[in-house]
Amino acid sequence: MTQLFDQFYNFVGTDINHFPIFAIVTLFLGAFIIAIVGKLNKTLRNVIVFIVTIIPFLLMLSLIKPIMIDGGVINYWMGNWAPVGEWAIGIGLEVDALSLFFGLIVTLAVFIVAIYSFTYMNRDSSLENYYTLFLMLSGALLGLVLTGDLFNIFVMIEIMTMTEVALTAFRVDYDGALEGAMKYMVVGSLGSSTVLVGIAMLYSQLHTLNLAQIAASLPSHQNAVTAAAFAFLFIGFASKAFLFPFHPLEADVNAVAPASISMIISGVITKCGVYAIIRICYILFQNIELPAVSISVTLLGAVSCFICVTMAFNQHNFRRLLAYHSISQIGYVIMAVGLGSMFGLEAGLFHAVNHTLFKGLLFLTAGAVQYATGSADLDKLGGLVKKMPQTCALFLIGAASISGLPPFNGFASKWMIYQSVFEKASETGNFVYVIVVVVCLLCSVLTLASFIKVAQSVFFGQLNPEFNKPEVHEVPVVMQIPMWILAGLCVLFGVFPNFIQKYFLTPAATAAFNVTNYIDTMLGQGTAAKAGIQQTEIGTVSSIGCWQPVSWLWLLLIITCAVCLIAVLGSNDNKKHATALNAEEKVSDLVGVKQSGAGRLNNVAADASLKGVASDHLLSDQELIIISRDRTIEDEVLAGEDPKYENFFSGEKSEFSQVGGSDLFWGFKHDMRHYFNFQKDWHSGNVNDYTTYGVAAIAVTLVLAILFL
Amino acid sequence: MFQKMIDDSMKRSPWIFHINAGSCNGCDIELVSVLTPRYDAERFGFRLTGSPRQADIVVVSGPITLQSRDRMIRTLAQVPEPFCVVSLGSCPRSGNVFKGSYAIDGPLEKWTHVDVSVGGCTPKPEAIIAALAKASAILEEKRKAMRQADKADKEKRS
Amino acid sequence: MSFDILWFAFHILIFPGLLFIVVMGVLLMGINNKMVARMQNRVGPPILQPWYDFLKCCGKETIIPRRAQKFVFIGAPILGFAVLITAALFIPFGGSSVLSSTGDIVVILYLLTFCSVMSIVGAAASGSPYAGVGLSREMVAMIAYELPFVLVLLAVGKLAGSDSAQGVTFSLATITEWQTAHLPVICHISMIPAAIAMLFVIPCEIGMHPFDIAEAETELCEGTLTEYSGAPLGVYKLTHCVKVYVMTALFTALFMGGITTGMVVVDVLIKILVCLVVTFLSMTLPHAVCARFKVEQVFKFYWTFVSALALISLVLVWIGL
Repeated sequence: MTQLFDQFYNFVGTDINHFPIFAIVTLFLGAFIIAIVGKLNKTLRNVIVFIVTIIPFLLMLSLIKPIMIDGGVINYWMGNWAPVGEWAIGIGLEVDALSLFFGLIVTLAVFIVAIYSFTYMNRDSSLENYYTLFLMLSGALLGLVLTGDLFNIFVMIEIMTMTEVALTAFRVDYDGALEGAMKYMVVGSLGSSTVLVGIAMLYSQLHTLNLAQIAASLPSHQNAVTAAAFAFLFIGFASKAFLFPFHPLEADVNAVAPASISMIISGVITKCGVYAIIRICYILFQNIELPAVSISVTLLGAVSCFICVTMAFNQHNFRRLLAYHSISQIGYVIMAVGLGSMFGLEAGLFHAVNHTLFKGLLFLTAGAVQYATGSADLDKLGGLVKKMPQTCALFLIGAASISGLPPFNGFASKWMIYQSVFEKASETGNFVYVIVVVVCLLCSVLTLASFIKVAQSVFFGQLNPEFNKPEVHEVPVVMQIPMWILAGLCVLFGVFPNFIQKYFLTPAATAAFNVTNYIDTMLGQGTAAKAGIQQTEIGTVSSIGCWQPVSWLWLLLIITCAVCLIAVLGSNDNKKHATALNAEEKVSDLVGVKQSGAGRLNNVAADASLKGVASDHLLSDQELIIISRDRTIEDEVLAGEDPKYENFFSGEKSEFSQVGGSDLFWGFKHDMRHYFNFQKDWHSGNVNDYTTYGVAAIAVTLVLAILFL
Repeated sequence: MFQKMIDDSMKRSPWIFHINAGSCNGCDIELVSVLTPRYDAERFGFRLTGSPRQADIVVVSGPITLQSRDRMIRTLAQVPEPFCVVSLGSCPRSGNVFKGSYAIDGPLEKWTHVDVSVGGCTPKPEAIIAALAKASAILEEKRKAMRQADKADKEKRS
Repeated sequence: MSFDILWFAFHILIFPGLLFIVVMGVLLMGINNKMVARMQNRVGPPILQPWYDFLKCCGKETIIPRRAQKFVFIGAPILGFAVLITAALFIPFGGSSVLSSTGDIVVILYLLTFCSVMSIVGAAASGSPYAGVGLSREMVAMIAYELPFVLVLLAVGKLAGSDSAQGVTFSLATITEWQTAHLPVICHISMIPAAIAMLFVIPCEIGMHPFDIAEAETELCEGTLTEYSGAPLGVYKLTHCVKVYVMTALFTALFMGGITTGMVVVDVLIKILVCLVVTFLSMTLPHAVCARFKVEQVFKFYWTFVSALALISLVLVWIGL
């Protein structure tokens, strides 16, 4: 096996430097081919989409060894425009472990979404447009994370924003689709222009757009303008990650976009924002170790986390709820990234990839439910577990992961986040971090609560008669396969976090701290030293490490089996008895009445003082014999399905009565009504308001940056 | 041995579910008083449950009004085997002062198999405890009978 | 090698594993019931009453309602029980714990959550509207006690981690060691509010009487357990008992761990005694004195009074008292 790998890498040789650009170009090329031939043949179109999405994934996988394991950095000058003198004038790709980490996320998600789309989208028309836009979006995302040029990032963000707008409105006939797209276009453009302003300011100061060169020259050119540029860039990328206060947009977009695109938006586009934030904080400005930046980024994460999780608590739409949770989880990631410690960054990256997996899984299950029933309304759905058992199992895996229940992946990464934040708290002695830990843990419970709500009101509870028809059934296998892949990865990542940490997280986090290496690879050895950038001390991962779940997982398995065995042994004979006894009873019906009637007289005699009172009302033996059970009425009452196996309704006839989305937690919501009403007020759904929040956020960040940087 | 232990604990932990089939509340109050510190039926393991699914002894009070009849029959059908039915007070036995009314459809024997019946309007708490104790003994016997029937069934098959 | 495996199996199955945990749980629950009865001037049920209840449930018919999802309905209580036993194995009880990791407090916290979630999922799978309301209440109770619980754990972790390099610990082993080296945590004045807060967290986590809003038998027909009968119900009742042990043992490990006399038997006896005292203070007293709380009362109580107590401790520890 290793020989095969060696042969492959020998065969490829230095051509491996071309792999990143191949990956990007494949996606864009695919988009254009689909635009031309997509209309001709459905099978041809699907084959092309399959090929152009799997190739980038394989290319990224093949880069794991040279970059992740051997610690190399690939740089590639487009058109061979290598730097002249000390000035990088061409556009360069620079793929270090951090870029590759996000590149893997992007390509994996794109590949899975492509497979899912084949069936999921088959009821829509003009699919060639869908695939063209989808592939362009994917290409832009991959380009964003692999590029080494600041302006190139802006270009990719623009392509991303515009294709996303188009894809959101792809199902034009959906209620609110155009509205969501419109909102995103307005506020998204605000974010993009903010990035552009930041880039322009940096360019005016440093006269270069190459990331490595900016990183090299920034430390010696710190002034108010670069501080402002940082603020602009940060808030621009934050808007792409839908952080607070841009979070209402994602809900509007995700509630109406096709579910496959929702997975891309919440699973990958937000990740690109996170990637860009890591890039500018760790590599470009190297200011994450300043307490002001560190605390504000962490707090931003905590605020996003808390506000979104409470917003999600109140939602009645499956997809809207998931969208808010998405930002809440991104809040966790940003929180950990803001710590600026090696372990914190690893935790953040781990949660980022986990978020793609479980949130993708949840969006795909939501899509499956909508595909089968045509509804995403939590008040209307219910009891679908009988109709869609596989989807329900997948949903439960995703819900357990996002709520951080062991042994799923969400627990592994949240565990690391708590450890790192509290460690940071005791290192710095800053009480803010303690509050952040508490908020984290609380958000985890609230996340659990809202997923309990979804589980009860979509999959469990009672089946709405409206959906109790043969058309509502399990989704096709082609849609299940991508979901099972994601679910399997969720479990694997949760059970073997050490493996992930060793081969993916540590290299990626090290790359983020290794600024000198980044500069030197791009601009030649010694550039960093010349520019006066010290080799930053790469912090060792604290002794805490990852948690080791495997040993006790076996134990859990054994105990479960043991208890199952006992339960089976203890209960197997009951059912037979019951039926036997019932039959017996029915035969000796009349006789039984007489016998028990005679016996009863003795029982009452137990209390002698009662005898006088009792005997007045007792029936004579003769009367007792006359009485026989009135079978007809009893049969009438018990007619139809055996009431023994109906739900208990205090004796009433069992009827449809689903405890749905808005019924759950109403007491809690009523207690917190002031808070929830306040939330409802400012999430007005009005695009003017959202734009105002965006502008306000820019202003606040600017002031903060100029004051503290 | 495990089965014997189960048989034994059958009478030690009978849980009571109470159906009010049109009672005047007199018997209901007496039933609750059985669980108060003065009579403390909990020392025998009695406990009131809220669901027929968990009940071992179903206590029915009231003269079985037409309105409550169907509900009672359905609830009784939902109790898992083995279980006992105890009729509480004179009403479910005979109709008491309501006997002959157009609105009642008693006695309880008409609808179900009654294991223990305690008379009185209202019965004294001591009598209720005695009746419940009797019912829990019957419960154990029913369980044993179930096991024996099962054994006989197995032998017959083999 | 084979001896090691046998020894490990002994630890898991007999002491301090499955058998010991179940026996302790049943005894603590039984003694608690007895103490409540005595406080109300009653004779009270026998101490083994929870055990009889469990056995009786095993002997009853198991009815699976037509609307229930059979697999989840039966699987949830079993998985919940297994998870709880696993959580119990992380807690040291007179000696070291069977399992340990560097962050076992977080693991225990989440395993306890997992156990509650299993009862919720089981209830949801039963398809009963009573269970639907019950699970919603259970979740609210969980939100209520989780905040003070986390604050208490952080306070203890910070205090006991003051010797270690990171300045904080999430490991029960470290906390126990620290208590052996210094005094037990409860002897520090700053930690007394946290201990009181933890005493309040215990009954809500278990779902004991004044806080059993999810299983309110008179209003909700047993709430989450409405549709359960037979063996699964018995497993739930047993889980309930084992939770008593887990929570009291956790309290003992957090606040009064590390007292050793060198002899395991004596240590265990002391721990059992401490567990009994904790049971009396945290469960018997409120059970005998209070009527059941309303849902919003539980929520407010935990988020104001109890959380404030825990927060006081955390701040005191943070400023170095």
